[in-house]
Amino acid sequence: MITRVLIANRGEIALRILRACRTLGIEAVVAYSEADRESLPVMLADEAICIGPADARRSYLSAPAIISAAMVTGCDAIHPGYGFLSEDDAFADAVRAHGLTFIGPSAHVLERFASKEETRRLLSAHGLPTIPGSGLLVDEQQALDEAGRIGYPVLLKPSAGGGGKGMRMVRSPRELAAVLPICRSEAKAAFGDDSLYLEKWLEENRHVEIQVAVDRFGHGVHLWERDCSVQRRHQKILEESPSPAMTPAGRRELAERAIKAAVAAGYENVGTLEFLVDADGNAYFIEINCRIQVEHPVTEMLTGIDMVAMQIRIAAGEPLGLNQADVPQRGHAIEFRINAEDAAHEFRPGAGTIERFNAPGGPGVRFDSHAYAGYEVPPYYDSLLGKLVVWGSTREAAIARGRAALAELVVEGVVVNTPIHRALLDSEPFLEGRFTTNLLDRVGSAAFLAAAERKA
Amino acid sequence: MPEPHRPSDRTAADRQADHAGLARLSETLVPALVSKLNGSGLGELEVREGDWKVRLRRAPGAPVPGRRERSRAAAHAPAHAPGRPIGASAPTPAEPRDSHRVSALSPAVGVFRSIAAVGTRVRSGDRIAVVDLLGIPQDVPAPIDGILVQVFVETGQAVEYGEEVAAVAEPVEVASDAADADGEDPA
Repeated sequence: MITRVLIANRGEIALRILRACRTLGIEAVVAYSEADRESLPVMLADEAICIGPADARRSYLSAPAIISAAMVTGCDAIHPGYGFLSEDDAFADAVRAHGLTFIGPSAHVLERFASKEETRRLLSAHGLPTIPGSGLLVDEQQALDEAGRIGYPVLLKPSAGGGGKGMRMVRSPRELAAVLPICRSEAKAAFGDDSLYLEKWLEENRHVEIQVAVDRFGHGVHLWERDCSVQRRHQKILEESPSPAMTPAGRRELAERAIKAAVAAGYENVGTLEFLVDADGNAYFIEINCRIQVEHPVTEMLTGIDMVAMQIRIAAGEPLGLNQADVPQRGHAIEFRINAEDAAHEFRPGAGTIERFNAPGGPGVRFDSHAYAGYEVPPYYDSLLGKLVVWGSTREAAIARGRAALAELVVEGVVVNTPIHRALLDSEPFLEGRFTTNLLDRVGSAAFLAAAERKA
Repeated sequence: MPEPHRPSDRTAADRQADHAGLARLSETLVPALVSKLNGSGLGELEVREGDWKVRLRRAPGAPVPGRRERSRAAAHAPAHAPGRPIGASAPTPAEPRDSHRVSALSPAVGVFRSIAAVGTRVRSGDRIAVVDLLGIPQDVPAPIDGILVQVFVETGQAVEYGEEVAAVAEPVEVASDAADADGEDPA
């Protein structure tokens, strides 16, 4: 039973969690850093508590500050959102040790899936195809041997963390030797863990992920897939579902294999299994995300299921209360990540005060954002300002709504990345549903934007 | 009662031990503490051993929010958090604050415990109260030299980070004992 939740995150996801709590009739307290005092979740919360300064290490990443805030505000659960401490098993364990519920997988589940390299082996043993790769790299010689065995190009990846940090594609032994120490130090700095491994690099691939939900009793369902192939330097920009790259039979088969493997491996709560899909439609499991994801609204639009509410109920020990047949995949949804960054200038992150602001609306349009006119975007955190999600009965209908909604979006005072989204909706590879993860980087974002402008 | 060591009455052996102690401090203890501090959510760390005391405090940039920032917070607090128990006694800036009065701020979110009594003469940095962060006391330092004139929070009450918990006023110049305050060490 959860009656009062401390929301230990910021921005749009703090607001999203607040909404889920209210829907469930659960009280919520927003924990915030000094830099977020004027943010929308803080203003809309029943109660808010300042946990530390702008520096995330002393606020959103400080386990003692967050747990203390939950205790003094009388909360019985903590929702970590995404990023920050959301997949930290030591934090989840500390939360439990203080008699509080961690909203997410329990500590031992997080620990089991903490290493990407071990997770790959575990899920491979439970029937998921994995991409050819190495174990953890010990030294340069072993890395070179492994890469030779796998065959270049290879992708060098940190075992911890995500978000493209410390990740490099290399085409030759010389390049591998050169970037190995760089990736190690990047991984160390970003995740406090410098272990790396290698994966075969698929030249033209799509990123397709399967959303799953498993309750404490081992009953699980999948919530279909999301296609996140539109990326820039391994960062997702736009997500959609269903994946234009998969056939109905193919997606059903992949989703069923994913939920089966996740349940068999002992996964719990909501999670996402990520796959790379090659040009021939073969899917390879790459990693699992043990948290609510940024792009979860895409799934909510198609299934009508409130995933954050589901996550809270599972953490509270409730049974899932639905079967696979209760999870429809209706129509088509697209999410555009609206980031405070300048697409024309290497996606430089921006900060400043939003002078004018208008959120798009209308049928099938959802805008999750903590922004408002007068809001000062702090420079300390990630650049996500909001998520525009559109739904249509077909992909074409969703794209048409996307165009209309993007035209309505007004953000002045801070540069946002809407030009890249408009360009995407005018680009042939996207319209034909054949976007691949490296397309934007290969063409170059500037060239991509310029081409779209010429056409306009 | 014997005073703590003074440089003048120390032997060469004492000083030798000091040098060895210093070397050990700088080479092993301090780096270890720095990494501990960085890895923790704490703002300050203090270790005592024999005659030595090492206190590490986080570098500026983040902490010690200025008064301007604070008053902005106070102005917004009621609107943002109606009926919140936290900081219920936080000062609505009813009293005009002059430049001779500075608020001491909570260094953490936790449970407040008063230490120095109102009326106590304090020096900047003196511990006037603590905030228990999961059982670990975090010092509330006096912001300036002066007199502790008000404590806004009762012992046992919850406070948030940066909350004004007490006020220290500079001794008023015209008062007859002001000269004394400047002259002698209050010890």
